Amino acid sequence: MNNPYQPQNIKILEITDEAPGIKRFKLSSPDFSYSPGQIIFLSIPGFGEAPFAPCNPPDSEYLELCVRNAGKFTEKLHTMKAGDEIGIRGPQGHGWPTKNSQFPTPLIAKQLQRNDLNFQTRTNNSEPLTKNLLIVVGGLGLVPLRTLIWGKDKFLEPGAKIQIFYGARNPREFLFHKDFDEWQKQGIDLQLTIDNACHGWDGCVGLVTKLFDEHEIIENSSAFLCGPPIMYKFVLQKLAEKKFPAENIYVSLERRMHCGVGVCQHCAVGSFYTCKDGPVFKYADIKNIPGAL
Amino acid sequence: MNSKEFAKLITCLFKNYRVYSTQEENNQITINELLDPKEVVLSNRLPFYSWKKFFVPEKEILFQTTSNQLAPPEKNEEKIALLGINPVDLQAILLYDKVFADDPYYQARKENTLIIGYGLETKMLDKSIRKLNEKTLENLRFDIFIDENKNETQAYAGSATGNEILEKIGCKKFKKIEFKGHKYNKEWEGKMNLRRGSLKNRHNPEIWEKLGKICLECGKCTIVCPTCFCFRMDDSPENRERCWDSCYYSEFSEVAGEHKFLNSAAARIHFWYNHKFARIPDEYGMMGCVGCGRCHEVCPVGIDIKKVMEDVENS
Repeated sequence: MNNPYQPQNIKILEITDEAPGIKRFKLSSPDFSYSPGQIIFLSIPGFGEAPFAPCNPPDSEYLELCVRNAGKFTEKLHTMKAGDEIGIRGPQGHGWPTKNSQFPTPLIAKQLQRNDLNFQTRTNNSEPLTKNLLIVVGGLGLVPLRTLIWGKDKFLEPGAKIQIFYGARNPREFLFHKDFDEWQKQGIDLQLTIDNACHGWDGCVGLVTKLFDEHEIIENSSAFLCGPPIMYKFVLQKLAEKKFPAENIYVSLERRMHCGVGVCQHCAVGSFYTCKDGPVFKYADIKNIPGAL
Repeated sequence: MNSKEFAKLITCLFKNYRVYSTQEENNQITINELLDPKEVVLSNRLPFYSWKKFFVPEKEILFQTTSNQLAPPEKNEEKIALLGINPVDLQAILLYDKVFADDPYYQARKENTLIIGYGLETKMLDKSIRKLNEKTLENLRFDIFIDENKNETQAYAGSATGNEILEKIGCKKFKKIEFKGHKYNKEWEGKMNLRRGSLKNRHNPEIWEKLGKICLECGKCTIVCPTCFCFRMDDSPENRERCWDSCYYSEFSEVAGEHKFLNSAAARIHFWYNHKFARIPDEYGMMGCVGCGRCHEVCPVGIDIKKVMEDVENS
């Protein structure tokens, strides 16, 4: 029987500073592939495990992660060096819907009124992804979307447009800023905002929701949301104001995780597990679950 | 099964297994290692603790660490026999089987565990009697089941191993039961199932806020609950362990940056009930509460699970 908790060791190839307190780790490829938005677990014996979202461009010969030093595990990770080995297991869960992936629809959401005991948690009813893509992210929320953005020709319909609303506390905290020029050259509409005005910044100041007041949302789009827990409520409110259809909204949830296989209960949301059924959920499937957002 | 055959059964168990059985201490049913056959007390009463720890141990080493490599520990080949498990706790084993279906540690342990059930009738903690009939035995998993009524003791074999043992000890007239899997039991699961509908479709924050004000979040209910299997993974320099956790502890949902998704006692209590009465049935097609009432028995502030679910139904 396959041991779902067994990590494999891979090598750290390169570590670079990405933003204050945030490092980017380039790792040798594990023996599995993943789709954008899925989770992997890093493991350091003696320090435990933690879930992360890979962010390298698709079909890279390496795996990239972007990690903030924010706890016991990540503090240790930040002291590691190129050449060190680290454990990895995964990938877990469902990532962002793409043109080829069948985004599973949880039946539970549809069957709330039924009282029989034979529920199936997920089906593979594919629902076509709307052509264009609105990405709304805050802070580290851009991380699980970078693979998708770099792979837009692979993952989205031909000719799909991408619009990104990205909020950070200050200009230094924008991740992947070296990618921005190339993304814009590719026709991606990238809009940035920072929380508080600061010297040398002549762009938008305010929370990410402010960008909704200053820019028209691209038409015929799905919205992908990822950011700090507090962000969702306000962005969802904005989307509702703009009459954005709820069934076209997808959110990636953050939760504490231990097992990664839907057993330990730490990441449960209603009848779902963030590790197994998420981390990306269709907003319509979880909007009525108390505490989900 | 007569007393001679029963004695033979015990001898046979001693020869091949480390045996744990129900015993009596200070007028309470306990579960202890059986060293002297005289100590066995087969009882219709529920033991204070359930049999959970034999299936889902409080602490379990998943990996041992040697020079930065994690390797599973050597297989424990010790065989254990559990003698006298009541049908209420047997019901919980059905759930573990589903939850840990893909778990190599659980499966290895289960392979080395002999289950001997006892008593079609169970005296519940609220003094009510839960009565099974022979037919419903096919919905419980055991190797051997023993039932005593009036002057007769009837043995049942529920697996090839059970069958073999009963034949070996020369037990006459035992019956064979073929396991058919869990079956929805209208009598006690039916009511819970109706309430599951209320719990999911009519979220009433008042119920949980009221409970949140009195609950001490001690986690005793999660320890005695036969179906509470939440765990966390703990690392030490030597190994990585899987340990019981409790969703009542405030760090249960905490992520880096100190954000807690379950940020109040009310949210955590709701999480516990939702797991038992909504998430488990959704996921596994059976109730996550076997109705033993142990949580009520140990609760320092007297929260009664039955009463709470009545409130949910009536809200």
